[in-house]
Amino acid sequence: MSGTISVERSDKETVINIKGRFNFEMHSQFRTAYQEDTSKGQKGRKFVIDLSGTEYIDSSALGMLLLLREEAGTNESDIEIINAKPEIRKILETANFQRLFKIS
Amino acid sequence: MKILIVDDDRINSTILNRLLARDGHAVMIAHDGVEGVEKFRRENSDLVLMDIRMPRMNGYEAARQIKQLAANRFVPIIFLTAVTDEESLALCIDAGGDDFLTKPFNRTILQAKIDAMERIRRLHGELRRQKETVERHQEQLQQEMEVGQHLFAKIVSAGNLLDAPCLKRWTSPMSVFNGDLLVAAYNPAGGLHIMLGDFTGHGLSAAVGAMPLAEIFYEMTAQGFSLSELVEAINAKLISVMPTRMFCAACLIEVDFRQQSLLVWNGGLPDVLVTDQTGRVVRRLVSNRLPLGVQALTREDRKMEIMEMKPEHRVFLFSDGLIEAPDPGGEMFGLDRLMTHFDGRTQTDQIFDTILSSLKNFRGDAGQTDDISLLEIDCSRAGEEPPGGMPRRSEKDLPPASWEISFSFHAETLKNVDPLPTVINAVMSIQAPTGHRERLYTILAELLSNALDHGLLGLDTNMKKTPTGFIEYYNLREERLAVLASGFIRLKLVHEPVLSDEDGRRIGGAIHIRLDDSGPGFDYHRVQSSLEGNCGHGGRGIALIRSLCSELVYLGDGNQAEVVYRWMYE
Repeated sequence: MSGTISVERSDKETVINIKGRFNFEMHSQFRTAYQEDTSKGQKGRKFVIDLSGTEYIDSSALGMLLLLREEAGTNESDIEIINAKPEIRKILETANFQRLFKIS
Repeated sequence: MKILIVDDDRINSTILNRLLARDGHAVMIAHDGVEGVEKFRRENSDLVLMDIRMPRMNGYEAARQIKQLAANRFVPIIFLTAVTDEESLALCIDAGGDDFLTKPFNRTILQAKIDAMERIRRLHGELRRQKETVERHQEQLQQEMEVGQHLFAKIVSAGNLLDAPCLKRWTSPMSVFNGDLLVAAYNPAGGLHIMLGDFTGHGLSAAVGAMPLAEIFYEMTAQGFSLSELVEAINAKLISVMPTRMFCAACLIEVDFRQQSLLVWNGGLPDVLVTDQTGRVVRRLVSNRLPLGVQALTREDRKMEIMEMKPEHRVFLFSDGLIEAPDPGGEMFGLDRLMTHFDGRTQTDQIFDTILSSLKNFRGDAGQTDDISLLEIDCSRAGEEPPGGMPRRSEKDLPPASWEISFSFHAETLKNVDPLPTVINAVMSIQAPTGHRERLYTILAELLSNALDHGLLGLDTNMKKTPTGFIEYYNLREERLAVLASGFIRLKLVHEPVLSDEDGRRIGGAIHIRLDDSGPGFDYHRVQSSLEGNCGHGGRGIALIRSLCSELVYLGDGNQAEVVYRWMYE
């Protein structure tokens, strides 16, 4: 039982929408979702992770976010996590991920 | 294909033989059931064409025996029959038949049926090979797991002091390997270092990261490194060995009974809870750092939370597996349910056990989804030694020799490096007499911290007498150290053997320690004469040194100290 991922792309921005459970089973789905952009080596692209439909997040999912951050080039792109429910936001903040991502 | 024809009708078998041989098959013929089974046993045929009515043994029985002989191998049996009534056909299937061929034989149908069977036979063979491969891998994996488990247990639990009297712990791994790492060890001065780490994921991959971490933890703690140096080293190691998507949420705690303080570093674990005698939470130590293994630490990241330790304090730390443990309906145990145990109605010494029983009831028969750990530190027992006494490092005991070493630390160095482990490790690697190491460590620790705190940083030990002053003291210490521009601490150690009066044998030694700092010194006459007033927070240092040494004198303005420590073979 895991979630589903949908992606919307515009010129400058990729929005990754995660519904349901964001856990280790989502690893390859999540990677496929952003690799289309990161593999081109294009700099300055913005990634938005929309968690409005996310019910649960585990430490493997946090690891996937770190991987995106690395593959997108830490300094060149910015990654924003939006619409996280309070309990998910709490998990992100316990890990102090607000220091690595924009969380709004 | 090797095809066996079992038929007592010689005309039939001759026709079949000719048809099959023309297609390149190797054909054998048996004239009744007994001969058929016998030839199959000898030739290991790939496919059997079987008549039903035959002398000595009929086709049903022969088919049954052939299927039994073939065991795991799939050997298709096609019955040759003149009848087409359902009952006899059902009997063929019961006997293990795979298909029928009605007489008189049609060459096209015969070929088609043999081809179809050949396809199934190949598929079956493929499946069997895959199954064997899977079984072999499974076997191999099992053996590797056993070796891994052994290594893991040896490395992670080497010198582990989780039986320290002040600790109570419970941990429930989700698989063979625990992704939650719980380790504890004493530093040379008797301070207790504790770490709870929760690696990304569970099982083997999570446990692999635990091994280097545990080794660094034990080694550096034994060498007297501070908690913040441990955090730094572990973080660097994890960054270098672990893939990006793995990290370790961790909490490190130092219980310093001598200083009556608790140092806490929390990166990514749930709040560490400290309760008082009523069982209510008086302090939460929130995760204010990134987990270990994510990125290099700044000076700020290495900082510890410090709090004064009181006997009535109990410290609770746990991994998120506790809060997220599901019940059979998928609902999580949750923080609110956990916090009901801290409402003052549960006696403080019962909290640990009631949390566990409440968790057990909640989970029922629900499967485990993560590793779970819970640890309690009972501060009233922080001064108790573990059963079997303090652990001893196994160091060489050299015969007492003459040697001397000296150190000079300047402001630039002192800002970034704790001089204590450097000094201790140098001494220990030359001469570390069994039974005296802890005392030597304590003396050097006190001398060095007096020189730095009071001599160079000008801190007043009286500050530590109140709880707020206690914290202020450490904050001020950090501030002043960060901007320390000048000053030095010099340390000289001279060791001489002590000889027996009777026969001149070397029976022990004396270490002369001389320490001077660039500070203004202090009125040592007053301190020396009033040991009573010297027993508040922190000021106990001088009294402690005096109690351990045979001589302690202050010289000059009080910024020079000379200490003699004598030891004898036990």
